[in-house]
This record gives sequence, C-alpha cells and structure tokens, in this order.
Amino acid sequence: MDYILEAVMQAFRLLSSGDAETFSAVWATICVSTMSVVLTLLVGVPLGFFLGYADFPGKRPVRTLVDTLLSIPTVLIGLLVYALLTRRGPLGGLGLLFTLPGIAIGQTILGLPIVVAMTATGVEALDKRLNPTLLTLGAGPRQILMTTLWETRFSLGLAAMAAYGRIVSEVGISMMVGGNIKWHTRTITTAIALETGKGEFALGIALGLILMLLAFAVNLATVGLRKRVKR
Amino acid sequence: MTVQKALRADLFRLEQVRQCYGGRTVLEVDSLTICRHAIIGLAGPNGGGKSTLLRVLAFIEDPATGIVIFEGRPCSTRHGDVRKKVTLLAQEPYLLDRSVHANVAYGLSVRGDTNVGEKVRGALDMVGLCPARFAKRACHELSGGEAQRVALAARLVLRPRVLLLDEPTASLDAESAQRIKAASMAARRDWGATLVIASHDMAWLKSVCDQILYMQGGRIHPDPPVAEFAKSAKLGNRWIQGFHTDFAVL
Repeated sequence: MDYILEAVMQAFRLLSSGDAETFSAVWATICVSTMSVVLTLLVGVPLGFFLGYADFPGKRPVRTLVDTLLSIPTVLIGLLVYALLTRRGPLGGLGLLFTLPGIAIGQTILGLPIVVAMTATGVEALDKRLNPTLLTLGAGPRQILMTTLWETRFSLGLAAMAAYGRIVSEVGISMMVGGNIKWHTRTITTAIALETGKGEFALGIALGLILMLLAFAVNLATVGLRKRVKR
Repeated sequence: MTVQKALRADLFRLEQVRQCYGGRTVLEVDSLTICRHAIIGLAGPNGGGKSTLLRVLAFIEDPATGIVIFEGRPCSTRHGDVRKKVTLLAQEPYLLDRSVHANVAYGLSVRGDTNVGEKVRGALDMVGLCPARFAKRACHELSGGEAQRVALAARLVLRPRVLLLDEPTASLDAESAQRIKAASMAARRDWGATLVIASHDMAWLKSVCDQILYMQGGRIHPDPPVAEFAKSAKLGNRWIQGFHTDFAVL
C-alpha cells in the first residue's frame, strides 16, 4: 500500500513542478482530442441532421448501423486506420502514420457514430410544430436549417461532450496509430499504459489525475446541458 | 359586382381541393373564394377539416389534388414568397427557445427587415404585453395565454396580408382571449388584413365575420345543422348562401 501512497505523493510533485514529460503528454492529448472533436462535429452534425430530419429509403437500417457502430472497439478502428495509413496502405503517401493528425483520423471515426446518433435523436425529438412555425413566419430552407440546428444546440452540446469523453479516454487508436512516441504522439492514456507496464506508477497516477479532471469537467458540462435539454 | 371586379377582389380561390392523410380524405373543397379584406369564420366540429384547410391556405402543405390560386396565380408550398404574405397562428403555437423579443423578431429577421426593436415593441403592445416587462423574458417563463399572445405578436409584426387563426382563443383565460380577439381585429382595421378564423366561439365569429363557413367531414357544408346561426339577425344574408358559389357575398 505504501508504494501507492508514495506514487500519489510523487504524482502531485510532478504536477506542481510542471514536469515536462507529463505536460507533453497532456498537451498532445488536448491537441489531438480537440482536433478529433472538431472534425467529428464538422462531419457528424450534417450527417446526423440529415438522418434525423429526412425520410429516405433505408433510413432504419442506416440508423441501426450507426447505433451498432457506437460500440465499435477502439483497437479495431486503430487496426483499420493503421492499415490505411501504413506505407503500403492506400493513404500511405500522406505520411500520417505515427502523427497526431493520424490519431485524429482514428478518433474521428470513433466519435462519429456518437455525434451522428445523438444529433439525429435530438432532431427527431424536436417539436413537430417547429417546421410549420418557421414556414409560416416566412423562413426559407437555409433559415429553417440554421434555426433547427440552433433549437437542437443543447443536444449538439451533449453529443460533443459524449464524443469528447470517449475520444479523450481511448487508448487503442492512440497506441496503434500514434505509436506512443515520447514528446511526439504520447498521450495521457498511452503514457499511463506504458508507465504502468514499467512499474512507474507516479507518472501514471499524475496523468490519471489530469484525465480524471478532464472527465470531471466534461461531466459537469454535460450535466448542465442535460438540465437545459430537460427544461 | 361584375365578374372582372370580383376577380380582382379575389385573394384565394380553391378549385377541387382534396387532402388525404394515410388514404383517408380529410378535406374536400370543390370551390371556395375568399375576397380581400374579408373576415371569414370556419365553424364546425373537431376533425371537420378546419385546420387542414388553414394549413393549405397557409401554404404549409399542398393538397393531394386541386389548385390553390392566390392573388391570381396558382401557388404551392414551393412558392416561398407567398408565405411572406400569409401567416398562420396554430391552436397551440410553438415558440422558439429564445426570448420573447427574439421570437417576435424572428419573422422580421428572415426578411432582413430594419427597425426591428420598434416594430417588436409595437406588436407586443398590440397584444397587450408590456414590452419593458416581457421582451427579455424566456419563453418557458410565460403562461399559456401569454405564449399565445407572443405567438400572435410574432405574426402581427409582419403585417401579413392574410392572417389565419386556428382556434386562437381555445383554452385561454378571458383576458388573453379578449386581447387576442382585439389584436386580430386591429390587423384588419390597421392594414386591411384578410382574416380566416377557425373557432368554436360562435358568438365571436358571428360578431366579427363577414361570412361563416360550416365544415364537417372535410367538406364545407351547404346545409349546416346549426340552423339557428343561419337565422341570426346579425349575419342576415351574409350567412352561407351556398358554398359552391364562386364569389363570397360580403
């Protein structure tokens, strides 16, 4: 038990002293997860809006597929993206393997089903009177689209938070696509996995504390948004 | 009135209009003409087709068959410009998740209108809501009657040529109902709006309408079962003269 307490004490020392290796992993995590969430929202919100708003043949199977993809294992995404980005792969020429943008591609695939499904649910849950109201107030198609998105803003916020929570805590994609390269593609989760394997609990716990803080902040924001959605 | 004059006076003309939901016909209007500046009442039981007719007139939905002629040209939901002239207040209106001011200003903003603040204040005044007290309120803080008045203000601020009201005073307190009635009539008085009002409040319809149409089973009924309304001294020969007439007798 003593070694755990000692590790916790050392973790606080690392954080308070601004340990460069620790904060390199934190910075990499913030950069890559922000990149991933932005990409996820850019692609996922229009897709989710279309899925929730439009009626088209095959909508139900598409919805089922999206829901199924919610539980796709991160190592499987890591494997697929690795196969695409490796030198022999179709996107090998881009040189994205073992880079943060490469990890972001994988994490975007991870977050996409979450944003698509939650946006579609948010749009479907909108009051059926919204569209006729906008029409009768003279809104055109673009204004209807923008106003509808604005009306679902809290659901979109929830989708972004959920996607961020999943992305920031994943390890499989970061490890396989990023390669866990020190000072470069090492993120909080891959660093924790590595340091724990080496028996270096202090750095792992320090990074774990930061991850918990991030998760707590995301959860707080989510709770606040849920209150607005319920109202 | 000559035919030419009558044609010029036509605002709406419906020909062989049918609407179906799930294979069930809910609206069948062989011919209906609504003149400019008229106040038309729609009476009849629930499910009689009043709301469907109003949605067709508002160009929110297209009829399954038939044509709707507005200001002399066939129009449909594809003609977005006509929806800037015709507006509908539903029985349970939807307010956007924003402030009262933003709700009333919405229609003006989509039109790129100017002087929004003054117009919004004027519209809130019309429906009896003090702008200083209500403009900044969130819509979920309003009572049912206040929400209905805000929704009406959001339509009145647009100064529409046609104001369609679907049970605008149903389940409202007396003061809200009175405010809504007064504001609706102001639209006709102040800028000559044409009003089509669906309501069960026959006393109100009889007191303000130029013509009352009785709807049942999706049809405008030529022989309303409420004979006492036809005998009403107030309506006289303005009461339904026959619903297949081309021009409303006003």
